[in-house]
Amino acid sequence: MSTTDPGGFRTAGDVPMELRADLAALLLSLADNKRLLGMRYAEWLLGAPTLEAGIACSAMAQDEWGHSRILYAMLKDFGEDPGRLEHEREATEYLNSELLDDPPAEWAGLVALNFLLDAALSVQIEALKDSRFEPLHYKVRKVLEEERFHFEHGRGWVARMAQTRAGGEALKAALTPAWESCLRWFGAPGGELVGRLAGAGICDAGSDELRSRWLGRVGPFVEEAGLGLARRAGDGQWQSVTDPDWSGWDGSRRRSGDGALNAETLAGVRGDKNRAMLMD
Amino acid sequence: MGHLSGEHLYEIFARQKREDRLEHVGTVSAPNAALARAYAWQTYDEQKWFEMVVAPREAFEPVNRDEDPFTLNPAEAR
Repeated sequence: MSTTDPGGFRTAGDVPMELRADLAALLLSLADNKRLLGMRYAEWLLGAPTLEAGIACSAMAQDEWGHSRILYAMLKDFGEDPGRLEHEREATEYLNSELLDDPPAEWAGLVALNFLLDAALSVQIEALKDSRFEPLHYKVRKVLEEERFHFEHGRGWVARMAQTRAGGEALKAALTPAWESCLRWFGAPGGELVGRLAGAGICDAGSDELRSRWLGRVGPFVEEAGLGLARRAGDGQWQSVTDPDWSGWDGSRRRSGDGALNAETLAGVRGDKNRAMLMD
Repeated sequence: MGHLSGEHLYEIFARQKREDRLEHVGTVSAPNAALARAYAWQTYDEQKWFEMVVAPREAFEPVNRDEDPFTLNPAEAR
């Protein structure tokens, strides 16, 4: 009666031992990035340029927190304690993109996170849609349904800001550093964790292919906005105008640089204040 | 209803089931169709919609009245 693919993995225990830590690290990286991105969206609830954008930030924050809860809960099967993951880790234990270490100072910075980083996370998640690790199937579909509107929101704001000179300049200043960071986020060329997972059918593509899918998704809109970050090659594929600098890349933390979340962000994301109130 | 320069009003229509007719459920102000879609879906989320569509208010032609379509208050009618 089971519809399980005979080659599929129904639990973490079915995943070959040598890949289990890789898959757990990928899930944790997605969970941490989503949890923090949700926090960044929430910070703009009241400061967004229009009421509609504030409501959208609220909806996107709720979505991201929901997605991260799903992902943290999945890690229980890998022997992790989701409660500890969510509330008790130190800053350097988070597998977040360096773009989320500090809150963006301006709306353009949030648009960069929304349009570039959120899309990168979605490209990676989409590659798990038909994963051999079957617990992902249903959950991934729900996540992607919601993410469709995050992308619309991001591209809508990129187009809107690009209409004015000041908006275009702010956009370029915010998107340029985020661009390189997102290119790196998929992993170093030719290998690493995502490559090993792709080899086992847990992820449907390796780092280079995922990077190219992301470029295909965001490239047309950054070009339309005149940001000079992407171009369409002769074969129709979208390429980055610059190659990212890999010198500070740390594959095990899936980030560049040896920084970490700032103290305020860490306290917020762990919910330290909530727990202090419960202790009273 | 006033709105920011560069923004347009988009009318939102939705239905809960395929056999339902689309009904007008509200309006959002947005600078482009991508943002209108995102705002509409995220704001009018009280139902699990089978289908939602948006159209710019300018796209609607008045049939029997000379005033702008969708005007609620007689004082605003021109």
